[in-house]
Amino acid sequence: MTLTVPSRLHPRLQRTTNVLVREWNRIGSQMRFYATTLGSIPDAVINYRTELLRLIAAMGLGTAALAMIGGTVVIVGFLTMTTGALVAVQGYNQLASVGIEALTGFASAYFNVRLIVPGTASVALSATIGAGATAQMGAMRINEEIDALEVIGIRSVSYLASTRVVAGVIVVIPLYCIAIMMAFLASRAGTTAVYGQGSGVYDHYFNTFLSPRDIIWSFLQSVAITVVVMLVHTYYGYTAHGGPAGVGEAVGRAVRTSMVVAAVEIVLITLAVYGQSGNFHLAS
Amino acid sequence: MVTVYRVTKPVRVMGGFFAMALDGMVLTFTPPFAWREYLLQSWFVARVSMLPALMMTLPYSVILTFIFNILLTEIGAGDFSGTGAAIGTVNQIAPIVTVLVVSGAGSTAMCADLGARTIREELDAMRVLGINPVQRLVVPRVLAATTVALALESAVTVVGLAGAFFFTVYVQHVSAGAFVTGLTTLTGIADVLVSMVKATLFGYAAGLIACYKGISVGGGPAGVGNAVNETVVYTFMTLFAINVIVTAVGIQFTVS
Repeated sequence: MTLTVPSRLHPRLQRTTNVLVREWNRIGSQMRFYATTLGSIPDAVINYRTELLRLIAAMGLGTAALAMIGGTVVIVGFLTMTTGALVAVQGYNQLASVGIEALTGFASAYFNVRLIVPGTASVALSATIGAGATAQMGAMRINEEIDALEVIGIRSVSYLASTRVVAGVIVVIPLYCIAIMMAFLASRAGTTAVYGQGSGVYDHYFNTFLSPRDIIWSFLQSVAITVVVMLVHTYYGYTAHGGPAGVGEAVGRAVRTSMVVAAVEIVLITLAVYGQSGNFHLAS
Repeated sequence: MVTVYRVTKPVRVMGGFFAMALDGMVLTFTPPFAWREYLLQSWFVARVSMLPALMMTLPYSVILTFIFNILLTEIGAGDFSGTGAAIGTVNQIAPIVTVLVVSGAGSTAMCADLGARTIREELDAMRVLGINPVQRLVVPRVLAATTVALALESAVTVVGLAGAFFFTVYVQHVSAGAFVTGLTTLTGIADVLVSMVKATLFGYAAGLIACYKGISVGGGPAGVGNAVNETVVYTFMTLFAINVIVTAVGIQFTVS
């Protein structure tokens, strides 16, 4: 028996509309997940305190093979150390080419705080605690552990996602301090020990131009980035599908998305904080 | 015995990685070369990394020019904003964005794909059929990552400079001619070449790490997830280290 199905009206138009509607719905459900996650933070802090503490410990020290090389602390420290050294290498030589290498200390105080540390920290966090969260939650979703949580009456979003967002924010506070210390130390060591600038010259310009207010803004910027990065990563982990390959793919997609979102966020916060005037006073 | 096994594990992982890297290097020049796989993988890596690369370059180059321009306007050298944009974009932003995208987008996808094949025992099946998985799967992937990283770096540089141009000229009102003239004040062909060498090395290293983590996966869905996570972390660490070293070496040739 052959069945005849009449062709649909405007097939191409319908297909395009369907794609658009699906994307729109996906963005909507993503937003709803973020709102639920942020909304259930009090619930997570009150009811799931043990899980929260366990996650803070796990995120700070790293899990599995990452713990072997020293965990999140060492990774973040190492990445910011290399970018700090970059200030010494690029800054010193580039400034020397126009004869003002004395200002390398200024470059360290200015670029490290405003751009390099928030940027590097966001990338490092997304790679370590963010991707780790996606991998764990994705594996839970594939093994149907998240459904099991719902069945035994645990609110999965607040138990899994909200706790991770809170834990990420708590962990980033000491991590940011390590990051900025490593960046400053690497810039100073590179300039004074490797390129042989007098440490007094370096320290003078560094201390003159290091503004505490900039550091506080840079710190708040890092906290804001962490919230967004953790939200993106938990969403992709929570909605992982398609077997073992699906988990890997979800991790990749989460890293990609969170890096783009973090970059946009850094720009928006920087433009909002420093504005047109630049909040920078050379003379004073 | 168990402790000895556990303590020597990192050493064995490193050994396995270098063994695979050597195998890959030798097999690159041993026919037959898997052309089809190479083209498919190049297209695949390019597809997953093009959009994130462009989306990340624009914010970073805009913010760098913004921060540079605050400084330059303060000392009355706004005309030189092009110079700052060129130094920042060509020497640092372009290679670093390429690093982030190649490891964050390209190598994660590659590791997830290979990891899933390992879990499904496809690689063992290939070995049984007498096909070397390193030759058939790893070599084309590593070369694809290298090719795409190089191509991506060029695209990222152009897009970054264009973004900086529009931001400086239309938002911060520096004259367009001054910006364009300033571009080549301190940045020349040597900087572009160093930047391209960096991108090539990044692509090669990221491809090798992703493939090694992919073919040594174990333990179901959680294993694949962890392998991808480790890939991102290890590639970031390796590539940032390569970046500092190549910058330090390259700057001896570029800055006179």
